[in-house]
Amino acid sequence: MGTKPVNATVCFGGWEGAGSRVNHEPEDLPGKLTDVPSWAGELARMSCGCNPQGLSRPWGFFYLSSAAFRTSRWIGFLLGAGVLLTTWAVPATLDDEMLNMKRRQQGILTGMPFMANITPRTFVDALGRKLFLAKAPSRVVSMAPNVTEILFALGLEAKVVAVTPFCDYPPEAQSKIHLGGSNPSVEQIIALKPDLVLAPQDFIQPDLLHNLDRVKVPIFVLQAAQLEDVVAQIQTVARMFDRSKAGDELAATIRQRIAIVKVRTQLLAHPRVLYVLNTDPLQTVGPGSFIHQLIAAAGGANIAADTSTAYPRFAVEEVLARDPELIVFPVGTAEGIPEEDQQQWRRWSSLSAVKHNRLVLVPSVLVDRPGPRIVEGLELLARAIHPEAFTGEFQEEKP
Amino acid sequence: MIVHPSPSQTTVSDPPMMAPPVPLRTYEGMASWQTLRARRWYAVMGLMVLLTCGAVVFCLQFGAHALTMAELWAALTFSTTGSEDVARVIIWDIRFPRILMGLFVGASLAITGAALQALVRNPLADPYVLGISSGAALGATIGLAFGLGSIVGGLGLPLCAFIGGGLSIVLVYGIAASQGRLPMHQLLLAGVIVNAVCSALMMFATSILNPASLYRVVLWLMGTLSAPSTPALLGIGFCLLIAIVLLLRESQALNLLAVGEDAARSLGVDSDRVQQTVFLVSAVLTGAVVSVSGMIGFVGMVVPHLVRILCGADHRLLLPVSALGGGILLMVADTVARTVVAPAEIPVGVITALIGGPFFIYLLMTRKYRFFA
Repeated sequence: MGTKPVNATVCFGGWEGAGSRVNHEPEDLPGKLTDVPSWAGELARMSCGCNPQGLSRPWGFFYLSSAAFRTSRWIGFLLGAGVLLTTWAVPATLDDEMLNMKRRQQGILTGMPFMANITPRTFVDALGRKLFLAKAPSRVVSMAPNVTEILFALGLEAKVVAVTPFCDYPPEAQSKIHLGGSNPSVEQIIALKPDLVLAPQDFIQPDLLHNLDRVKVPIFVLQAAQLEDVVAQIQTVARMFDRSKAGDELAATIRQRIAIVKVRTQLLAHPRVLYVLNTDPLQTVGPGSFIHQLIAAAGGANIAADTSTAYPRFAVEEVLARDPELIVFPVGTAEGIPEEDQQQWRRWSSLSAVKHNRLVLVPSVLVDRPGPRIVEGLELLARAIHPEAFTGEFQEEKP
Repeated sequence: MIVHPSPSQTTVSDPPMMAPPVPLRTYEGMASWQTLRARRWYAVMGLMVLLTCGAVVFCLQFGAHALTMAELWAALTFSTTGSEDVARVIIWDIRFPRILMGLFVGASLAITGAALQALVRNPLADPYVLGISSGAALGATIGLAFGLGSIVGGLGLPLCAFIGGGLSIVLVYGIAASQGRLPMHQLLLAGVIVNAVCSALMMFATSILNPASLYRVVLWLMGTLSAPSTPALLGIGFCLLIAIVLLLRESQALNLLAVGEDAARSLGVDSDRVQQTVFLVSAVLTGAVVSVSGMIGFVGMVVPHLVRILCGADHRLLLPVSALGGGILLMVADTVARTVVAPAEIPVGVITALIGGPFFIYLLMTRKYRFFA
């Protein structure tokens, strides 16, 4: 039916596990006769107008032979079915808000411990899982560089026990315990006794959530689809640690800087921009990727805006035909486009970007990490795309 | 590109030193059972060369950016003015090298596959069975991990891959060779083992790599023909030319080896020399191909079977026709891969299997096919 698994979730110890997992336990499958609720028998009696005699199970009306139905009974059955259909279909026409209210009431009425839904200490993550934190966590494991940056920016470095080996900013983060590469060990995470694991949605092992749920290590998944999500994420993390004030201040600063960039660039002509993730084969960014939104926010027009995937392979000849005025290369120590690849692009001398020597390097960590420094990446991009709109005052603003 | 063997190898009118394989039974109208005559060799090869040229012209017309016929003609005849500059660059600097790359890579994979299937007498053999490709892939992965791709004028990655492939050739040969001979079962086993070890090392390397640079390894492994640099194109063309000459010289010996090693030796074939030559030529060509294009599957294994079904199993015809057929298949598949979801592209390996697979199944079900009949 495509409904959210709200009614089926089970709470244990304040932490409400993934509803879908509970649903998938075989003994909970709704088709089993032992699970048939008692109202089903009543329903059968009401709609058929007969008592399913001789059948011990309330589901029994399915097993009645056709002779047991008489025409009048059929009318009753159809009426009952009609009433049922109406009651089922009407909520679907209501708007979402009404629907959620109705469900929440149901949850309370059925005695489920749904109070977790309405406390301010309940947090909903990117997967829709709810996490109830009675108090601010004191031992956090960060499973992504951007999460580490958020935690350090909020002044929570004392509470961070472990980070990934790729967390290179701020440099103090390197002194924390390192999780194992791109395939962290669940054992190690458990041994660290964290009371919160902050993980990105991408790049984590699919069974990690399940394994951590099983041992009741609370894990919260962060995923930013929009620029605004990053700011909201910072505020969420701040609320978790009772640092709402610091979080709101940081968020306000970031929002202000984003607004300044937008105000200065949105009314200018948007130059065509090519972002090179990989040269051979050419891979670029499409709508749905974070960098695509950054380019738009910085006042540029991504030439691959009509592709369907987030990180498409792109035809070089289409680049020539669309003639980007600016080519952006991410650069960095571990990742990024090597120097020679950038030079390879200069052989396409008909491109406006090559003619006017507008090949721009942007530190990859600033644009592909949805953390607090994303606004620096945005400002860099905006200055690269619209050098005329900025006179370098951002340099003073940078910490 | 196409090397015609000397007349003494192609004509059977005067009995050569080594007799052609004698068919057990003869069915009328069935190509695979026919004896190869010079006339048929020239007819089939002429047809294939024509088809190849046709495929090149056909593929030139299609691409992510739609060009009008007028633009195409102007670009092809170099009678362009300033406004049609982009069309000329697209045709000559992007599409043509890429199509040529498809032809060379497809031809190399198919001819290597055909030779190796005869050498190890196994229908499942393909260029990747020798373990060379895994060595090259490991080399490329290490190159990417340490950022060596930027050295030597953009050729760093192919060079890393080629070095990896070369080292694994030495390794496979060292494992398999014993007392100056190269037993085929040992060669197969050595190839499989080197494959496994290199794959394991590669998995290890990717598991400790930064996830952000992992996708570059994955992209490389999926194989690509896009925008090849001129040195890579010339290098692979040169390797292919040498390999075709060397393999065609051994085609009669391969015919006999396919029947059986002992039989071949009793008929005067120096089987040790032939086996070593074919192994080395195939290995070097595979290493070169994998270095420039990554792992493109399907072509190397299935095209030789396709050609055997259609033209018979005589290697004097099978090897060159496989080469041209593999080239055509890869060129057409790559054209489809770069146009179906334009302006985005999909990996060419997807299309080779999707085009070639059903065609092969059709032939397998409608024709009688006996491997090396």
